[in-house]
Amino acid sequence: MEVTMDPLFLALSYFRRRRLQQCSDICTKILQDSPYDQAAWSLKTRALTEMVYIDEIEVDQEGIAEMMLDESSIAQVARPGTSLRLPGTSQGGGPTPAVRPLTQSGRPITGFVRPSTQSGRPGTMEQAIKTPRTASTARPVTSASGRFIRLGTASMLTNPEGPYINLSRLNLAKYSQKPHLSRTLFEYIFHHENDVKNALDLAAQATEHAQFKDWWWKVQLGKCYYRLGLYRESEKQFRSALNHKEVVDTYLYLAKVYQRLDQPITALNLFKQGLDHFPGEVTLLTGIARIHEEMNNISSATEYYKDVLKQDNTHVEAIACIGSNHFYTDQPEIALRFYRRLLQMGVYNCQLYNNLGLCCFYAQQYDMTLSSFERAQALVANDQEQADVWYNIGHVAVGIAELTLAYQCFKLALAFNNDHAEAYNNLAVLELRKGRIEQSKAFLQTAASLAPHMYEPHFNLSILSEKIGDLQSSYTAAQKSEDSFPEHVDTQQLLKQLRQHFAEL
Amino acid sequence: MPEVKSIFREVLPKQGQLSMEDVPTMVLCKPKLLPLKSVTLEKLEKMQMEAQEAVKQQELAMKGAVAVDAQ
Repeated sequence: MEVTMDPLFLALSYFRRRRLQQCSDICTKILQDSPYDQAAWSLKTRALTEMVYIDEIEVDQEGIAEMMLDESSIAQVARPGTSLRLPGTSQGGGPTPAVRPLTQSGRPITGFVRPSTQSGRPGTMEQAIKTPRTASTARPVTSASGRFIRLGTASMLTNPEGPYINLSRLNLAKYSQKPHLSRTLFEYIFHHENDVKNALDLAAQATEHAQFKDWWWKVQLGKCYYRLGLYRESEKQFRSALNHKEVVDTYLYLAKVYQRLDQPITALNLFKQGLDHFPGEVTLLTGIARIHEEMNNISSATEYYKDVLKQDNTHVEAIACIGSNHFYTDQPEIALRFYRRLLQMGVYNCQLYNNLGLCCFYAQQYDMTLSSFERAQALVANDQEQADVWYNIGHVAVGIAELTLAYQCFKLALAFNNDHAEAYNNLAVLELRKGRIEQSKAFLQTAASLAPHMYEPHFNLSILSEKIGDLQSSYTAAQKSEDSFPEHVDTQQLLKQLRQHFAEL
Repeated sequence: MPEVKSIFREVLPKQGQLSMEDVPTMVLCKPKLLPLKSVTLEKLEKMQMEAQEAVKQQELAMKGAVAVDAQ
């Protein structure tokens, strides 16, 4: 006779081995036989939650509505160095846009992207709406209607019998009395169903049941308030949770609230408080480094990333950020060592090989350059990445004076991503070398309209217009270039020249 | 080594001013290091892709069912 394992035990074992689908299937069978089996019910809830679980600390998406109709900020015009919204206030002596490309929000590009850094905060409503809506930068109108809802509905769609737990028929008051069920239920509602209002109800009743003494429920309440955009309420909950018990996560959540409220200094102080209780905690150190980086204070960000590496020498984010910083401060050979370290650690993707290729080229290790780019090409996941890799190969081609190859590369970049403003600009420069003025001008105008934050297309357009004698357009273009990069010497000179010209008329 | 008399003689002006005109040239956009993606972001993107696939599959199945009904 065959001995079968106890199904619940098997399900638990599957859960531990993260075979979540199998675990959930077994639980479904158990529940069909005995619908009131609380253990199986709870386990299935956990399995379903784990399938779609994402770290709440990392998740941060701002919709247009949150950004533009934001009333929680204290000062509309903040003093320099106290706000995350003024990317231009660099005090750290970081690299200028002349050597380091900018993101759309006018911040230097970093070595690492997280959900919250994907696209920065545009300055005006017009810019927010004009931001190109490609697949990777599509911004939800409000964050509540963004990715979360899409994920939530999708998880329901895949289940032909409808949702596993019918929230509207659930007696939340009953469940909140049962501590062993309420927590898994809460996580299910919060992560799987994305029904923040019901989750908040449950958390409120449960914390009442625990006589307001359970820090866990307070943190959950804070998370719910945060998702609903009630930042001050969530701050209160997190503070109160910290009074009960010092937990690293709570510090991180609270810092996230302050960042959303645009109070980076408060967040920094909080992280330092956290470090007093948990010395050398990597996540807190990373938090400090990220804030410095977002405030354009690259050199102190790098210092903190180095501290992170002292604690955890396999921290991908820290290595990538230090590496990119070295690359853009003219030390590609050191950057190469950092990226090579990542490769040794087992990171294996298109971005890394692309960066290795660039570092190799600028560190004069020509033998490795093209093979790295070949690997990058083989590993691309989407058209945007493909375009970026071609764009960088184009740079290598420019570097070895293979202008035909460069031309083809930039064209290919545009074929894969029609919104690639940098490629348009570089193509325009090459076109002008060939003497095709009209073509070059058209490319520059396209680049300028696609990426108004870059100074290069404006500046190039200004030079081009000046050469063909169209001084007025040259002047307006130069002014735009000055707006996006005030310290650029060549723009200043050009403007001075033009003003002199106009004065003589 | 025998002294070879070169036909060319170097000219190093000792007097006069050296001038160089600084002509503004067009600038290229800089090479772009691609940022690595965090684990959370990768998971989010993967989940979103899978969700979209699932929706597409279901829609296709629905369309197929409708077509069969029509026949």
